[in-house]
Amino acid sequence: MDRRHLLKNTLALGGLAGLSSLPAAAQSARPAVLMPIRAHADRIYDIKCCIRPFRTKGPNLSVEHVGDATVIHNYGHHGSGWCLSWGSADMQVQKAMSFGTRKIAVVGSGVIGLTTAVQALRAGMEVTIYTRELLPRTRSYRANGVWGPGTVALASEAQAGLGDIWEQMCRVSWKNFRPYMGMAGNPIAWSEHYELSDTPFDAKSSAPLTMANGEPAPVFYDMGNRLGDITSIPEVLTPDLNPFPGVKYARHSTKMFWNFSEYGHLLTTEFFARGGKIVMRDFHSPDELAHLPEKVIINCPGYAAHDWWRDKAMIPVRGQTEWLIPQPEVNYGFTYRNVETRSKSDGVMVIAIGPEQFAKSWKNSNEIASRAEAEGAVKVVAELMSRFPTRPA
Amino acid sequence: MRTKMIATVLILAAGMATAQARSSIWDGVYSDAQADRGRTSYMQNCSRCHGASLMGTYEIPPLVGRIMPYYAGSGLDALFDYISTAMPLDHPGALSPATNADIVAYILKSNDLPSGSKELTAAGTKAISFDAAKPRAKKK
Repeated sequence: MDRRHLLKNTLALGGLAGLSSLPAAAQSARPAVLMPIRAHADRIYDIKCCIRPFRTKGPNLSVEHVGDATVIHNYGHHGSGWCLSWGSADMQVQKAMSFGTRKIAVVGSGVIGLTTAVQALRAGMEVTIYTRELLPRTRSYRANGVWGPGTVALASEAQAGLGDIWEQMCRVSWKNFRPYMGMAGNPIAWSEHYELSDTPFDAKSSAPLTMANGEPAPVFYDMGNRLGDITSIPEVLTPDLNPFPGVKYARHSTKMFWNFSEYGHLLTTEFFARGGKIVMRDFHSPDELAHLPEKVIINCPGYAAHDWWRDKAMIPVRGQTEWLIPQPEVNYGFTYRNVETRSKSDGVMVIAIGPEQFAKSWKNSNEIASRAEAEGAVKVVAELMSRFPTRPA
Repeated sequence: MRTKMIATVLILAAGMATAQARSSIWDGVYSDAQADRGRTSYMQNCSRCHGASLMGTYEIPPLVGRIMPYYAGSGLDALFDYISTAMPLDHPGALSPATNADIVAYILKSNDLPSGSKELTAAGTKAISFDAAKPRAKKK
């Protein structure tokens, strides 16, 4: 049966039931026409560098007491803070509510802190955020910002039941993102994503990875396939459907991502509209929390927990993204030769990824942007784009 | 009972002595020579992030201005300990206590806090209050 015939018959059956019966490859019956990314070093208009807050035991969601204050922790989400934000906020706000107080404090105002504060306000509480920085100057604003929650612990140290907790956080977050879809400014958007390779996808190197500090590669807690029902499964593209010239292997999926400016603005606006208050300050020892007027405190310091809470389970994992001048006409992203791109409202994001990049990032707390790394990543994009014909047919 | 009472009195007395000996960052707790050494160490170890003028960047915090309210109410040891354990960010704890004390002296000087004749020491930071404003002189 040829593809056109199949398509015609399926449409005659009508509706989504017919569409879902299509073989995956037939759903994209022709290669997409892609606008090239203008990848040149002189179009890099920003480089953002941050530290992912990895915690060997998994996120700290425990409750402890400092003087007469109850501290509910909410930090250590590795590079998945955006993905886990609402679910983690929901869990910890529920704990705060169980203490029967209406006034709470939130420490920190990255995506975890701000989301936690908004969640508490939605639950009818009075909230004061104590923070030394606000979005967009917090570390979480320097993230990649794509849906793809990853591991959050080492296999050897993960707290019991972490997989279930993680899944709960993912699913509650996922539901919370839904109302932002389709809003003006696209705070949350979707785009096509192509995984590209010069070698078959199953022919990856099995050479053991050694970290930059000489240690063996960490073994992470395996989250398993828990989100298959809400995650787009990559579709293998046959050569006639692969829109990238000179690329032998391609897979295609659709990814959800955040446009930070719009999403951050909405969170901040809702926080103030619901009566949230902000106090700009820093903390230097846990004892200082006992002096806050609020006696229930949700602690969302991100990587800062490493120093001010002296949490030695916190491990820095460096991350850097480079930003090319926005190209609204580019409506896709790709992964190729250890570089990933994503076209967002505030620019085309480029990031170096892969095992070698991870080896350099693990236990690396250097937050100085590397221009050389940025240009190296953009060069990979430029080379791929140079294969596109100057005038597409 | 008696022993306990004596011990309590001694502890209280010791506490009062400490309280009386406590000084403020406004009392000239570092020397100009030390701040000069601190400037050299700062330029070698800190300026690539916090900038030559200590103004920071969009993403790296400044060490002048808001550092005053952010540390107000703490002891100077809070700043010294943070620098000692968390900085430089890519090699935390790499600098010696004496170098960190010099850097603290340079930060104080950069925030227009007065110098004095004595040098700041690591141990000495514990007895120095980080007051955001100059404490008013007590009436005699």
